[in-house]
Amino acid sequence: MATEQIYNQTIIEEYVITDEPYYLPLADEIEIFEAAYHQRVPVLLKGPTGTGKTRFVEHMSWRLGEELTVAKPSTKADASSNGHPESLPLVTVACHEDLTASDLIGRYLLDRDGTRWQDGPLTRAVKSGGICYLDEVVEARKDTTVIIHPLTDHRRTLTIDKLGLVIDAADGFLLVVSYNPGYQNAVKDLKHSTRQRFVALEFDFPDEEHEAQIISHESGCEGENAALLAALGGKIRNLREHGLEEGASTRVLIYAAKLINEGINPRRACQVAVTWGITDDAQVQRSIDEVVSSIFP
Amino acid sequence: MTQSNEQMMLNVRTELGTFPSPVQSNFDLAREALTGRLADDKLDDWAQLGLTISKRTVRSWEAGAELFSASANVQRQLPAGQFISWVKIGDQLCSASPSLAVAYFRASPGAIERLRPRYIGDWAQSCRSLYRGTWKSSALACKLFEATPQLLESLSFDELRRFAEFLEEVSHRSYDMAGDALDKGADLFPKLGRDAGAFIGLANTVADNSWRHVQPMFDAAQYSLVEMPREQRSSFISLVNRLATKEGVDPSRVIRDGARAIGGVGHEWRDTMIDLTHRIAAEGSAEASSAFLTTGPRVLERVTFPQLVEWHGRGMEILAEKPTAAEPYFKNESSQSHEMLDALSSSVELDRVREIIRMYSRMLAGQEIEVQAAQQLVDKNIGWFQGELPTTEGTTIYLPKVINRHPSKDRNFAFYKVISTHQTGHIEFGSFRFSFERPSSMFTDLRPQLVGTNGSALEAVPTEIAEKPQVESPATNNGAPTNGTNEDHSPIPMSRFFDLFPDRKLGNDAFTIFESTRVDSKVMDAYRGLAVSFRSVQDDALGSRPDMTELPAREALVEFMIRISLGQSANLIAPKRHMEVARKLRRLIRLMQQDVAIVEDAAEATIRACAWLTEVKNEELGEDEFDNLDDDEEDDEQQEDEDEEDDLQGIIQAFIESMQPGEGAGDDEESSEQSDEMDMGEDQDYSSPQEVDYRGEFKPELSQLLSQAQMQMMDGAEFADDDMGEMTPLTQEQLEEMMKNSAEVDIQEGQDGEEMSSELAEMLENLLKEMQRRDPQAQSQSSGPMQHVDEDGGPLTPTASDQFVYDEWDFRANEYRPRWCMVHEKEMSSGDTGFYRETLLERASLLTMIKKQFELVMPEMYRKQKRLEDGEELDFDPMLEAVIDLRVGTTPDEKIYWRRNKTERSVAVAFLLDMSASTAEAIEEAKRPNDDWGAPDDPVEYMVWLRSRRTEGLRKSYKRIVDVEKEGVVLLINALETLGDDYGIYGFSGYGRENVEFYVIKDLDEKFTDEIPRRIDRIAPLHATRMGPSIRHATQKLANQDSRSRFLFLISDGRPQDRGYSREGVEKEYAVHDTRMALMEAKREGIVPFCLTVDKQGHDYLKVMMDDFNYEVLPDVSMLPQRLLMLYKRLTT
Repeated sequence: MATEQIYNQTIIEEYVITDEPYYLPLADEIEIFEAAYHQRVPVLLKGPTGTGKTRFVEHMSWRLGEELTVAKPSTKADASSNGHPESLPLVTVACHEDLTASDLIGRYLLDRDGTRWQDGPLTRAVKSGGICYLDEVVEARKDTTVIIHPLTDHRRTLTIDKLGLVIDAADGFLLVVSYNPGYQNAVKDLKHSTRQRFVALEFDFPDEEHEAQIISHESGCEGENAALLAALGGKIRNLREHGLEEGASTRVLIYAAKLINEGINPRRACQVAVTWGITDDAQVQRSIDEVVSSIFP
Repeated sequence: MTQSNEQMMLNVRTELGTFPSPVQSNFDLAREALTGRLADDKLDDWAQLGLTISKRTVRSWEAGAELFSASANVQRQLPAGQFISWVKIGDQLCSASPSLAVAYFRASPGAIERLRPRYIGDWAQSCRSLYRGTWKSSALACKLFEATPQLLESLSFDELRRFAEFLEEVSHRSYDMAGDALDKGADLFPKLGRDAGAFIGLANTVADNSWRHVQPMFDAAQYSLVEMPREQRSSFISLVNRLATKEGVDPSRVIRDGARAIGGVGHEWRDTMIDLTHRIAAEGSAEASSAFLTTGPRVLERVTFPQLVEWHGRGMEILAEKPTAAEPYFKNESSQSHEMLDALSSSVELDRVREIIRMYSRMLAGQEIEVQAAQQLVDKNIGWFQGELPTTEGTTIYLPKVINRHPSKDRNFAFYKVISTHQTGHIEFGSFRFSFERPSSMFTDLRPQLVGTNGSALEAVPTEIAEKPQVESPATNNGAPTNGTNEDHSPIPMSRFFDLFPDRKLGNDAFTIFESTRVDSKVMDAYRGLAVSFRSVQDDALGSRPDMTELPAREALVEFMIRISLGQSANLIAPKRHMEVARKLRRLIRLMQQDVAIVEDAAEATIRACAWLTEVKNEELGEDEFDNLDDDEEDDEQQEDEDEEDDLQGIIQAFIESMQPGEGAGDDEESSEQSDEMDMGEDQDYSSPQEVDYRGEFKPELSQLLSQAQMQMMDGAEFADDDMGEMTPLTQEQLEEMMKNSAEVDIQEGQDGEEMSSELAEMLENLLKEMQRRDPQAQSQSSGPMQHVDEDGGPLTPTASDQFVYDEWDFRANEYRPRWCMVHEKEMSSGDTGFYRETLLERASLLTMIKKQFELVMPEMYRKQKRLEDGEELDFDPMLEAVIDLRVGTTPDEKIYWRRNKTERSVAVAFLLDMSASTAEAIEEAKRPNDDWGAPDDPVEYMVWLRSRRTEGLRKSYKRIVDVEKEGVVLLINALETLGDDYGIYGFSGYGRENVEFYVIKDLDEKFTDEIPRRIDRIAPLHATRMGPSIRHATQKLANQDSRSRFLFLISDGRPQDRGYSREGVEKEYAVHDTRMALMEAKREGIVPFCLTVDKQGHDYLKVMMDDFNYEVLPDVSMLPQRLLMLYKRLTT
């Protein structure tokens, strides 16, 4: 009991989002995602870093879980009696360039008595019927991405060759992947056979007003500074592809807002949270600093 | 007088009678004068000597005549003994050359006045020393005799003697030059006063060291030295003297630059300036001190004199450390010097902050914005005239080159920031997006109504009005032809708008004020962080406004508007008689400061303001006719609405009325005369207000024209096959019309109609050119004119996006010359694919072989990595060990997995091809050693030399080096496509540091397309080889690749060389060292350079250039393609 209190461990299938994650819809992405989920069509989220892709998935996981909890008890009596609300687990895997197939599917581990099979995160999500979210999927090796193919079409199966098993995905399972087209690099692009298995949702930075709202909500920062930060974000993004690889994300703006909330001088907060974070080029830094000092009194 | 005497005289006289008559008559006169003043025996001697002289040779009678004519005068100045010896000296001269004697005698009366008698002999000797028996030498000597009286007015005899020595020295080289120097000297010495002697000393030094400099030095002295402040002159001359002893110093230049430098500083600093230069010279560097004088004035534009002294001090340290580094330092060409100046001066230079401002403005405006020096826009001559004011034409903001208004760098930069924010504000807040039709947000729109009521009359009238106050004559020069184009209004909304105004100038000024106010207020609102500096700049601007009471009424009201717009609220005055108008104008300005104001609001406000202002007579007002304006605003606010609507009709009326010349519509002669009288009495020409410095020039009409041209041409691709003139939406006539009318193009109107139109035509042409340049499609690949920038020039500044500036390594100074070379990146034009296909066919067997070998490279990419903590599967051996460990009870090793690791081949390579002229050589001929060394230095000769060599190469149908290079490239491409490596192929050549050409045959991130073989076809020998900048540019490109390994392949046929790349004595070393440094920089970036050369003599310099790097010298050029591929494979795997 004590351990649980300290570590708050959760078995992967039971990692359920219970509190509503804040998400401010900018268009119809929520409806689209819901529709896709109901039809079990895999979803691809595109967009630069810090535009809320991950947050969106969390939000949808919670939202769809809510839907299950509300909708299902009436039909499934034993589930409600269990005391556990129905929910939609979320398994997130951050992809990196050394991510192998077995990292997703599972592998043999050594045991006292020999070897023991350990399911990978993908396998567990498939079995438990939750959303499996592969973040930055292009980072993964190309051979790895192929294993998701059978999961993303009508078959909805996962082949585990080492066990000689084919697993049918549980009903609630859905694969969601994200990638950032910003790193325009021929090497790191999704294969067409992969990309054409998803419906794609594009994410971009919200407009100033919405962004101010988001910043304000996330940081608890009061009105004006949030608006100024949002304005700053917009200005900095004008430099995308012209000195900056990526504009300032909403995330760094929120960080700046948090620092401001703690009493740090706004100009300084922007410098450490925004300017220095997004570029190392001294001239670009200087010019961003100038914009900051123009915007913040 | 004794008898014998008398007799002798008579004899002499008779004998003299055999000569032409002047001799005898002169003798008679002289004898008369001398008799009694001279003892008889002396007189005898005199007469006898005269006779001897006259008789000496055929022409010597002239000397005799001169002697007699001068005698009386001379005798008066000399004691008898010396008088006789004077004559004797003449005799000696005469024995050498009668004409010398003539000159001597003739000059004597004047000379002896200023000459001590004992020097007479020396004087004659000095002059005579110039005589060397030739006609020219005798002429020179005579000239010196003749000039002596004049020279002695300003010279002592000793100085004269030294001057003669100098002339003698020069005359060894050229009598003409000596004569010239004599003339100039005679002119110069009086002006130099007591410094003449010093100057003669200098002249001697120069003549001894480098006689060629003599003439220019006299020229320079005549202009510069004479004007130099007297107090410093002598010490300056001794400075020049000191420098002139050194080789490589041009005294005339030192004089000219020095005079400018010293004259340019305050008198209290002049001695110090000379002293500073002396100090450099004392350390032994004449070049550096001469450079100091040249650079001094430029440095002083940025720093104060005490700071200059500091800068100099640092230079002295450098001089002590490394003498060769001092010259670039004092020329302000070294980065140390730049840094030092930067640290010292409080001024901010545009070049240093341009990038920052560019990105800053880009961020604010959200569109691509270029930043350039305002002078560059003026130089284009398309309608902007003020090089020191900020401005914009919608895509580029133009700023002053340097800001030095405040004593601190921060404040100067803040000023830059304010002016660029204001200019960017015009773009960001839509000044140039004005549309004639778009309704304003706060006004009842009058624009359409004005068109409706007065459409066609509008254009013809204004010109008449503009002329009317000047002359009453009906000779209008451009009024008539406008009728034809009236039907369709100008396609530029801004012009269409200004066409509404009877007085365009006033309309333009008012619009500028309203629009700038609007932009300022928007800027202040959006960028509150800038408000402090913005306001202080506004305050400064207010402080420099003219006194309103000195302006005539209408201009005073315009000034009044500016003051309000700059934020003045207290102590506002306005003409008493026009208080009401002032109040209304103030309200308009205030409206512009509201949130909702858009550019069309500024336009509507302009209409109203102009209507009111034209009713105000532009008359002189006394100081007492101004009064404080009450700042009771509520009053205004209340009336606002009623005012507005009531006024409308009146405003339209005012407009229509003002269209008519005079008040009585001009049909009644009497009334028009009357109005004329009134005009002459009071109404003055309206002239525009003084610009607000930080707002600079605002030219909405031209800007809209330019940006519209750009936009329309972008989406007007379908018109592209039309005639070029038709491509522009404006016809030339329309454009001309617009330029003529526009108040923005302020061409001096009047006196000479022709001149005006030629000026205008030129501007028009430039404007059309500029508009075409903005058309992205019309931008063809032209090699551009070869401009030459002097090698001594300063750092370069790129003006286009395809230009890049790089430092260059000066190994003597052991530091970089900042921004020294300009690389022009161009895409290679495309030829046909013949060469490519032929090569593939010809070398088919080689190609298959190579491809096979390259394919073998591929499988090596996967490797099984063992003993990992994490992996695909358990690795059998370590697993066994681990299980045993477990059984035994010890902790097992965790590394029990293996994984197939893809050691991804990630290679990026750039190939740099030498496209220098020498690659035109046929292969057989390439064996001739070091052919390039004969390349002439002079640009013109160089091109001739180049051409002759090229045709030589063409005549023979042998394969040229460049062909082999091309073959290599073709094969390479095929092999590399197999491997999938990222590769770029570039050619480089160029001429001079400002023209390094960098041809892109295939860019690194460009895919292989049909276009590439076409470009390969065009690889051809061009100019010289400046390797350094090309390597740096390629390095830059490679550095942007995130491949694991990056390579730079340099393929050349000889040592690097270019105009000015091989400098002075150390020539070749400079280029080699710079190239080496460029390669080191590449290495620092993690790039592996490799050099492959076909120059068999290459070993000697490659040993230096490629020390530490790999290189290969190909013994046989034709091996290049094979070898290249082999090397590539070996190097990258």
